[in-house]
Amino acid sequence: MEVCFWEVEARKQGRMVLEVPELALGRRATTAVLGPNGAGKTTLLRLAAGLERPARGEVLLDGEPAERAGPRRAAFAFQRAVFLRGTVRENLDLALRLRGADAAERRRRIARAAELCGVGQLLERDALQLSGGEAQRVNLARALALEADLVLLDEPLSGLDGPSRESLLADLPEMLAASRATVVLVTHDRDEALLLAQELVLLLGGRVEAQGPAGQVFRRPPTLAAAAFLGYTVVGRRAIRPGALALGGGTPVIRFTVERVVDLGTQLAAEGRAEGRVVRAAVPPGAAPPAPGDEAAASAPPDAVLTYGDDGRLAE
Amino acid sequence: MGEFWAGLAEAVRLIVSGDREVREIALRTVYVSGAATALAMLAGVPAGYALARSRFPGRMLVLGAVNTGMGMPPVVVGLVVWLLLVRSGPLGGLELIYTKEAMVIAQFLIATPLVIGFTTAAVQALPPELPELLQMLGAGRLRRLWLLAREARLGLLAAVMAGFGGVVSEVGASMAVGGNLQGQTRVLTTAIVTETSRGNTERALALGIILLAMAFAVNLVLTRVQQRAR
Repeated sequence: MEVCFWEVEARKQGRMVLEVPELALGRRATTAVLGPNGAGKTTLLRLAAGLERPARGEVLLDGEPAERAGPRRAAFAFQRAVFLRGTVRENLDLALRLRGADAAERRRRIARAAELCGVGQLLERDALQLSGGEAQRVNLARALALEADLVLLDEPLSGLDGPSRESLLADLPEMLAASRATVVLVTHDRDEALLLAQELVLLLGGRVEAQGPAGQVFRRPPTLAAAAFLGYTVVGRRAIRPGALALGGGTPVIRFTVERVVDLGTQLAAEGRAEGRVVRAAVPPGAAPPAPGDEAAASAPPDAVLTYGDDGRLAE
Repeated sequence: MGEFWAGLAEAVRLIVSGDREVREIALRTVYVSGAATALAMLAGVPAGYALARSRFPGRMLVLGAVNTGMGMPPVVVGLVVWLLLVRSGPLGGLELIYTKEAMVIAQFLIATPLVIGFTTAAVQALPPELPELLQMLGAGRLRRLWLLAREARLGLLAAVMAGFGGVVSEVGASMAVGGNLQGQTRVLTTAIVTETSRGNTERALALGIILLAMAFAVNLVLTRVQQRAR
């Protein structure tokens, strides 16, 4: 399914929260909408679901207005997994009944979604008594059981503890692939976006800052602002890929005063500030770590340093 | 304590003997308070739902007024309704004063803020995403309202109990607009006042016990429904 935003503006209490002249989603199976808090990610997802109408412009699902097509053709998993009173099975069954599935079809789809999401053993449990991780899996199972053309996931891994998050993060790509739906998910976590999606849309301040294949957007962020959000160290008009800076080496790309040395577990890193931004450079194995107050110079492989023009756009 | 046991014995005697006047008073009480509560549910549940779900200028004022109304002295409500319905009042032409209908109106005004308040709290206790979840699943407006009401049923039944309990036990409004006319508008609470003023404390106590037993029976039924709904 193709989701098209055309001349879309969305406002909240008179304030512009999203401005998208043109955007098409769904060219690849899974698209991640990435951005910081307040970037307009959830608004974009709600517009695609038809839960909100734009102040201006149109949102179309395969050419049909989203507010009409959404409740029929889209499945939406809210950030907070909410359920009605009853068992997990009753919740999934109600969702399918509301979509008009007959009894046999409901049984088949519940069994398939439960297996896909690993919640078969939870079907007879009280839905309101699930743990955070279980609730998120059931939330996904309900969305996938609808076998909708479009699946919209709002921060599917939010609020989970470390092991639950890792476990769901490992299983999600397979679940989403098996659903054969067009998936649009919202996240503020760069790694989640890269692990789950083939397409990336980066939203900053309510505008699309970057869009393209996920790996490509990450390797070559089209603007300095996009690079900064993606974790690059930005100094002047240069952006250095995360993890690429190391003390010493060839021609220094950055000089800074060391504020502290942090133990990252597998290596030491010197941390300081350059042009007001935090800089972290790896201490090479075997080298003596600098002391706080020392002047340090760090280098990076040439292909890890991107240069931007005066307009903040990536120089070719 | 002697008077209490005598009152209890008198209550049992009145119930067992099927005292016609007491039976009529009890049935009239159920009719007036039952009708007032039913009407209050009809008006109060949608109003409480709207108040819980919508945001509009002055919402806090309305909520404050509802909360004040939940504790409004029945005698004040009775006085206002009496001023409206009395022959020389603006609605005097309806000739409702000193009728059961006037008592239903007064009790409706007492019960409605209670129902609105309890409904608002019950709906606000639901996850805010629930209406949109049901919308996304394709439930139409009426289906959504029904499913949400079912979800909030514990609170809604509490609203019925609070509304009925609030009006079946009030005396001021019923006395003011009903006039406590024997055989016409006398209900259990006004009858208790009358018997007490006549010095018939045993009979007054007996009527009180019947009132309590009746309220208990109604609430027991509602409580059973409520707890089964958990």
